[in-house]
Amino acid sequence: MSTDVTIDWATAAPEPDPAPSGSGGARRTWALSWHGVKTVAVLDLRQRVRSTRWIVALVVWFVVVGAITWLTWVAANRAFGLSTGVSSTAELQSDPAGGISAGPTIFGLIVFFVLFLGLLVSPTLSATSINGDRAAGTLATLQVTLLTPAEIAVGKLAAAWIAALAFLGTSVPFLVLALTAGGTPVLSVVVCLLVLAILLAVVCAIGLGFSALTARPSGSAVLTYLSIASLAVLSPIVFGLTFPAISSNDQVRVWGVPSDYDWESGAAPTCEWTTQTQQQWHTERTWWLLAINPFVIVADAAPEARGETAGFGFDPLGGIRTLVREARTGPTGEVDYCTGNYSGLGEDAAPSPVAPREPDRSVVWPWGLAANLLIGGAGLAIAVRRLTIPQRTLPRGTRVA
Amino acid sequence: MSTYRDDAAPVSRTLDTLPDPAPGLSAQGVHRAFGPVRALDGVDLEARAGAVTALVGPNGSGKTTLLLILAGLLVPDAGQVRVGGFDPVTQGQSARARTGWMPDAFGTWDSLTAREVLQTFAAAYLLPRERAAARAAELLETVHLTEFADRPASVLSRGQKQRLGLARALVHDPDVLLLDEPASGLDPRSRVDLRILLRLLASQGKTVLVSSHVLTELDEMADDAIFLSRGRTVSAGKVATAQAALRTWRLRSLSLATLLTWLGAVGATWLPDDDAVVRGPGMASAGPPGGRTAGVDGPGSDGPGGVLLQVDGEVGAAALLRDAVAAGVPVTSLAPAGGALEQAYLALEEERR
Repeated sequence: MSTDVTIDWATAAPEPDPAPSGSGGARRTWALSWHGVKTVAVLDLRQRVRSTRWIVALVVWFVVVGAITWLTWVAANRAFGLSTGVSSTAELQSDPAGGISAGPTIFGLIVFFVLFLGLLVSPTLSATSINGDRAAGTLATLQVTLLTPAEIAVGKLAAAWIAALAFLGTSVPFLVLALTAGGTPVLSVVVCLLVLAILLAVVCAIGLGFSALTARPSGSAVLTYLSIASLAVLSPIVFGLTFPAISSNDQVRVWGVPSDYDWESGAAPTCEWTTQTQQQWHTERTWWLLAINPFVIVADAAPEARGETAGFGFDPLGGIRTLVREARTGPTGEVDYCTGNYSGLGEDAAPSPVAPREPDRSVVWPWGLAANLLIGGAGLAIAVRRLTIPQRTLPRGTRVA
Repeated sequence: MSTYRDDAAPVSRTLDTLPDPAPGLSAQGVHRAFGPVRALDGVDLEARAGAVTALVGPNGSGKTTLLLILAGLLVPDAGQVRVGGFDPVTQGQSARARTGWMPDAFGTWDSLTAREVLQTFAAAYLLPRERAAARAAELLETVHLTEFADRPASVLSRGQKQRLGLARALVHDPDVLLLDEPASGLDPRSRVDLRILLRLLASQGKTVLVSSHVLTELDEMADDAIFLSRGRTVSAGKVATAQAALRTWRLRSLSLATLLTWLGAVGATWLPDDDAVVRGPGMASAGPPGGRTAGVDGPGSDGPGGVLLQVDGEVGAAALLRDAVAAGVPVTSLAPAGGALEQAYLALEEERR
């Protein structure tokens, strides 16, 4: 990709007699310059900020996220036993390590809610930006300038993304507030904001692609929402529906208590290997359905909460993280029924030969994020292609100018 | 970042660097279909640098499609196009750098001020910031929008938006101007301004291609005319030639009877001056075959009146006037009935039927 968009007189001089339709425009099409992108982004932002009730939207967003934060805060503290002194953050923080903490719950729910609202709002920022301009008759006049199609597309994407980031920025105080509830490392805020920002960029890029593809703004808005819904809602549903398909009765090696073991003896059992046929769900084949989910990506990318809240607290991020990583690991074909559950039988039991499961090795979010970025990249590429002039074919129902 | 063009003598520079010293604008055998609709079906045109060329044709004759191709927005299915010496398809950027295009229907970003619109476009044409500001101010002055410079474009009237659109097309000082119906929505004063501006630009060596339905206006500003019908070039030529050609003039006299008597005496062929006929679509058929000879009608009660005559150019008109006055006809006016382009256009329409 070149940053050179100025006209080089030497190369711009016409060839003696070029073919009627050459492919020499390829480099120009994708050429990007800071100046060009900025021009388009500033134009779009100015138009957007002045023509919509921008401040009102931000205030509404702030109030809604604030209300949810407050509700979550109250509910979480009630649920986890701190029925009094809800407002005292000092008390919350003074929870003994490993004890109950509402912090991760509050933080996780706020992150999810901000993501949810972001997924709702972002399509409106970009899903009409190209076909809307075309309908308003402002696109073609921009296309005939020296801006390259890539600059127009990226500029529009940048404008939509910056607008989305403004909403995200409005949510920051509540995420920081959730930190004070304890249990969440500061890094979580940074990581979550970063991942949220990237995901919103992806949503904007998807909207941009559809706005380039479809003639009517309403059509592209619907398609964008359908795509987002597919990623966020449909993917876990499909994951669930695939369970019959991925279940099989496999031979499983079981490290277990021998069947002739005398439970009355009091002596530690000598565990042994047996082979059983068990129903197994091979989620290692379908985990990617969860991985592309924006909520899963955020949950999996967020650093682990401080202090183990297992069994008592409710950490939405941590819960989802464990779940998807388990899903990606899938059944290993070896099960330990001896250690752990039967630990009451004595400490002197032989160490288990079954390798411990290590779900943390099956990190999911880089895959999911990469897949999302790929989708967003495709949207951007479509937009650039559709903005390239001169056009050979016109999409149905569209006019050039 | 170097400037995309050298402001000093851009035309001569173009000439220097081009092997083919024909800037201006040309199209040969341009075809373009939209599905089954053949919008352009063989257009040939040549627009000289330093001249205003009128693009004339009925609705749906392919004017806008042709301008879209010339502006570098559409690929022609077949044919060669050159704009300012460059092929808009293969050398899009170079061609667009020299082309100012004003579409027939366009929008403005309503929340931006007129000045911001122009500055944005200057930036989009890679003008440096200070140049952009200066150019915007200069163009606002040119199109008389200075007092609206810092008001949002949404408060502009249709004609004012049209003027802003013209300024926008001029922002990068293009060599080739493609104007699609620039006069629509303009008040008379603005039309005169437009005419003066386009003549000025042409005198600076720029190529100006104007499509319009207001033919009398093109008459006054265009040097050349290209007639488009059903996607084809049906005629092309100089407006001056059309003006010099045999066409209809209107001669009015204080005494119709004297006039008719004199016309009969010299054996001239004439038509009664019926305004409905003059303005109606059948006017172009007012050729000699349908003419009458003086005296056939017989003058009724005497009074002021006029006739339509076929006159061979302005020289013929001068001779006619001299003879009529010399013969004692109280002539009050002698003027072309309708513009040269209008007559040529209507004649073409007639041929098509």
